[in-house]
Amino acid sequence: MCPPGLCAELLRVPLFRKVLIANRGEIAVRIIRTCRAMGIPTVAVFSEADRSARHVVEADESFAIGPAEALRSYLSIDALIDAVRRSKAEAVHPGYGFLSQNADFADAVRDAGLVFIGPPGDVHRRMGDKREARRLMAQAGVPVLPGYDGDDQSDARLLAEAKMVGWPVMLKPSRGGGGKGMRVVRRGEDFESALAASRRESKAAFGDDAMVIERCLDRPRHVEVQIVADGRGAILHLGERECSVQRRHQKVVEETPSPALSEDQRAALCEAGVAAARAADYVNAGTVEFLLAPDGTFSFLEMNTRLQVEHPVTEAVTGIDIVRLQLEVAAGRPLALSPEDVAPRGHALECRLYAEDPGNDDLPSPGRILHLEEPEGPGVRVDSGLAVGSEVTVHYDPLLAKIITWGFDRREALERMREALRRTVVLGVVTNLARLQAVVGHPQFEAGALHTGFIEEHLSELTPSPCPPLEAVAAVAASLAHVRRRGVGGRGPTRVAPDPWASLGFWRLGDGP
Amino acid sequence: MRALRCGDERFEPVVKTTSDGYEVRVSGEAFSFSVDEESAGVFVLRNGSRTVRFHLAREGTTTHLFWDGAAYCLTDEREGERPGRRHDTGALEAPMPGRVAAVKAEPGQRVARGEELLIVEAMKMENALRAPRAGVVRAVHVTPGEMVAPGRPLVEIEADP
Repeated sequence: MCPPGLCAELLRVPLFRKVLIANRGEIAVRIIRTCRAMGIPTVAVFSEADRSARHVVEADESFAIGPAEALRSYLSIDALIDAVRRSKAEAVHPGYGFLSQNADFADAVRDAGLVFIGPPGDVHRRMGDKREARRLMAQAGVPVLPGYDGDDQSDARLLAEAKMVGWPVMLKPSRGGGGKGMRVVRRGEDFESALAASRRESKAAFGDDAMVIERCLDRPRHVEVQIVADGRGAILHLGERECSVQRRHQKVVEETPSPALSEDQRAALCEAGVAAARAADYVNAGTVEFLLAPDGTFSFLEMNTRLQVEHPVTEAVTGIDIVRLQLEVAAGRPLALSPEDVAPRGHALECRLYAEDPGNDDLPSPGRILHLEEPEGPGVRVDSGLAVGSEVTVHYDPLLAKIITWGFDRREALERMREALRRTVVLGVVTNLARLQAVVGHPQFEAGALHTGFIEEHLSELTPSPCPPLEAVAAVAASLAHVRRRGVGGRGPTRVAPDPWASLGFWRLGDGP
Repeated sequence: MRALRCGDERFEPVVKTTSDGYEVRVSGEAFSFSVDEESAGVFVLRNGSRTVRFHLAREGTTTHLFWDGAAYCLTDEREGERPGRRHDTGALEAPMPGRVAAVKAEPGQRVARGEELLIVEAMKMENALRAPRAGVVRAVHVTPGEMVAPGRPLVEIEADP
């Protein structure tokens, strides 16, 4: 401990002279916010597609790192390390996605004499290998699903192991992620062809075709534990999140606390999360994911060695800024919080706004943001990377923004979410807004009766109608005529930007039948 | 004559000015209200004591609308344009720019409506493109690895008679 006067002095010195955020979109904006609050100058990086993106505008400085293709910009370790050097940043926050779980990037940052705000390379390597992670967890007493994670990867051995596990089984690439190469096999006769396909996809995507076999649960729920470790022995959990509402292995709606857990189950789950982090020799913030079976038992799924997209729900109920903890731990400070300081209150929900068209098989829908209004009000938080005029391109993840609501209880959080979604205006790209509204308005969601197949099961009820009511069509026709008339008649200044309305000549008044 | 298209529906609204706003007839119904542009792209409809705030943005011939908590796209259509003509040719077009990751259809193959024909990778995701109709594949215009622009014909399907 330092003497009282000096302590206060030290607390006024920012943790880092400058932090570079090796990411884009909403998460870069969100990290910049905490850095700003802590008095730490920030550096943004951008590809050619992101020159005027919101994260670039919000940072103190910005550096170009290459062309639009992520492989040559946000995924290029060389380009990023070069930007770090040029900016004289002292630390690098990787966000999520891109290089956030890349061991070589973490090592490269360290080798450049800088601080990586996340766990070191060897932790990424250990947990990025599903076989090794499974073995490590089993040794540490963390429950894992019945399955096979052995070194004998012959087809015959895998088939024999799958039979022992019992159908249906899940085939997972050991080095995989994002659902690629994963397959459910329901019958022995399908195993051989499924294994071949999974191996092929895994080899192509991850350069490795080792597989893990696990029992496939029927209607599982996805629950996960947020942990923070300071690398000095202190490991803290910040409670759990439930992320069962998914589409194509992509989370869509998350919440905390999980409506599925009793207090005893919650305590056991969080304890398992801490045990998993200890076994992984974990440092910084991370998430331990579990599958919760209908009988209430949970099993280790994987560990995410980074900040999670859905971290704001935890922040909403605990009042703890997880990015701040990441910065403090990365700066070598011991965790300032003890388990008693973590006192979750109320309930929080998060909805992910994607540039995807629920009326067209959830295909991504790029475009330019023409109009934007983000919801606000008591208990509402929006993490967004959007700005009017910004392009949503096919090069990056379709996540546009996250809407987070907090309430004294689940019901209030849900009411606030429904209202916030009605106030979320994004024009120019098709989004999944109507899908989100349908999910949080669904009686089964309200009842908390969730499982990872929720969207698929209720898909027909969750697919919006493409057409507005007749009154809205009438209002559109009148408005187009109105704007046209004012423009032509020159009655007072038009507040409409000329460009978007340039093609309006088509709409004239008074020549109807 | 002009019309607005939305999915499979076509609207032909007729707008007339009245002393205090507009009267619009569409699909057999009549609406009277006033409309004001509150700020760029933000409109307010007034009908007696009732007000509705809504948002509009124009891009080419497309009108993006946000009304009562939901977003819609309406497209201008001129007289003589046949409803759904573009989608009736049996051609599957690229809905967005991306890279063809896999081609699952070959010429001569019989496909069902909704059957997966291609995988196009965009926005980090693999997206399945499905047959818009049942029929026989007449031509496949792309190969795996190729980049495609929106509107590019990918697969042609001859409809069952």
